[in-house]
Amino acid sequence: MENAIQQVRSQKAAKIKNDRTFREKLFVIFLYAFSGLFALICFLPFWLVFINSFAAESAIKKYGYQLIPRDFTLYSYQFVMQGKQVASSYGVSVTVTVVGTALALLITAMYAYVLAHPRAKYRNILSFLTYFTMIFGAGLVGFYILIANWLHLKDTLWALILPYLLNPFFAFIMVSFYRTLPYEINEAATVDGANELRIFFRIILPISKPVLATVALFYALQYWNDFFLALMFIDDYKLHPLQMMIRQLISNINISAYVGGSQTTYTQPLPTYGAQLATVCLTIGPIFLLYPFVQRFFVKGITIGALKG
Amino acid sequence: MGIAREIIKNRYLYVLALPGLLFLIVFAYVPMAGHLIAFKQYRLADGIWGSKWIGFDNFKFFFMGSDWYKVTFNTIFLNGLFIVCGLGIALLLAIFLSEIQNALFKKIAQSFIFMPYFISWLVVSMMVFAFLNTTDGILNRTLAANGLDTKNWYLMPGIWPAVLTVIYVWKFAGYYSIIFLAAIAGISGEYYESARIDGATRFQQIIHITLPLIRSVLIVLALLGVGRIFYGDFGMIYGIVGDTAPLYPTTDVIDTYSYRALRQLGDFGKSSAVIMYQSVMGLVTIVIFNAFAKRIDKDAGLF
Repeated sequence: MENAIQQVRSQKAAKIKNDRTFREKLFVIFLYAFSGLFALICFLPFWLVFINSFAAESAIKKYGYQLIPRDFTLYSYQFVMQGKQVASSYGVSVTVTVVGTALALLITAMYAYVLAHPRAKYRNILSFLTYFTMIFGAGLVGFYILIANWLHLKDTLWALILPYLLNPFFAFIMVSFYRTLPYEINEAATVDGANELRIFFRIILPISKPVLATVALFYALQYWNDFFLALMFIDDYKLHPLQMMIRQLISNINISAYVGGSQTTYTQPLPTYGAQLATVCLTIGPIFLLYPFVQRFFVKGITIGALKG
Repeated sequence: MGIAREIIKNRYLYVLALPGLLFLIVFAYVPMAGHLIAFKQYRLADGIWGSKWIGFDNFKFFFMGSDWYKVTFNTIFLNGLFIVCGLGIALLLAIFLSEIQNALFKKIAQSFIFMPYFISWLVVSMMVFAFLNTTDGILNRTLAANGLDTKNWYLMPGIWPAVLTVIYVWKFAGYYSIIFLAAIAGISGEYYESARIDGATRFQQIIHITLPLIRSVLIVLALLGVGRIFYGDFGMIYGIVGDTAPLYPTTDVIDTYSYRALRQLGDFGKSSAVIMYQSVMGLVTIVIFNAFAKRIDKDAGLF
């Protein structure tokens, strides 16, 4: 009798345990399914853009965007590359990104160092001046008049570079990094007779490489992806960055004149979709060629920024 | 100690700060003079100082029409949707990813989910157009292939708050989930271990350990989002909607409205009044919600 009850009990316990492990398993399957599906949805548009940039225009018109196109052609790329616009847009984007990132990184690194320096008595005033621009903007009109009418930067590359040279958010990421450095480094160097300029360029900058790389990537992505400044200040299509070129290709009716830059004659029908797809691939290509590297530094930067934003 | 003495004593330090300070003065503080135009009848030839004062006429024009209500509502409504759905889905993703044991799957999934963060709004706009355009869009093709009616999505303002929210979640889920994942990684493993010994299921561990311990991060992110609720994302809205006028009723936000007033209508006064309204409302909400955010997490506020 006793034995029988015991047996029933242990059977029950085993059944509950089995139920549990079964439900656990279902839950784990659900975790994988949800994350996997979301990841796939994130990736799919990239795949479609990439693979259809090799599809013939007529195929896109006939079958729509395909997961795997029926036949591959490089015509879209040939069409875009034959013209002058893509070369000049690439030149503009690369110049703005390289010059802008270098200048912005230098200015931000120097400025943030002073904000973090315990001996700079006015660092709190500087911090407040910086914070205030984050919460109360000058607004579009004042900004437009400054660039267009006072500084006369319309239709120059400087209009695309100067306005982003100091991003308060990136500056504060650097400040929080500098604060983790031991102050003794500074004191020892001061005793050795080095002035602050020397200390900053010879000692601080070299040991700040990780955060410098992160902030440089933040700036580079901002410059590369921006279209607001070009929309506001660049009317001359020769100075259009890649982002503006994409915008023109989406909205422009006369794409052959825009892409070609002259009276190039084409033997095949114009690849309207193809030109967009190929240009988009050429634009996002550099980011994704470096993706593992870029991703690592961004994760680091976002984590620092979130812990002390 | 006088100002001059401090500056001379630490002259090398202040030299380092000089370019940054100059930048802020020229590009952030000087253009604030533009707010004066809100009270003026601006004429290019007269400049900001020389133009005639007209008191609150520009504001009257803006507030008398129905536009101000529409753009204010759209800005707040869209941002509200973005905060709730964006943070919600990102939180789910972060929790799910943190529960996944297979390192390779996790790594690949994370890389994919983070990808949309890196592309510009114009690239997104091209993708959206490929999906929704009337003749060759993927959605209409799929509908037609299944014998359903195709629609001209770019003429249907009603669906666009949902469309924009989906796009927002798609683009930023990776970004926010990284922040949540960092918070989850900071939770001590001992909690989970003792919960397992007590026989807690994974689901129970999520509900009773993970969620309570990252709640403050969620609240802080939400409050920071709410603090910026008067600022629409110009790049996103203008990049995707552009000049598609039929969609304005549900997608036009304060930022796109003032942009068009300035660049397409050339109405400096009206644009300035709209921006001044936004800056003041924005300042008030940011100050209020920053205070809340700081109360929850003293390191969280912007200032």
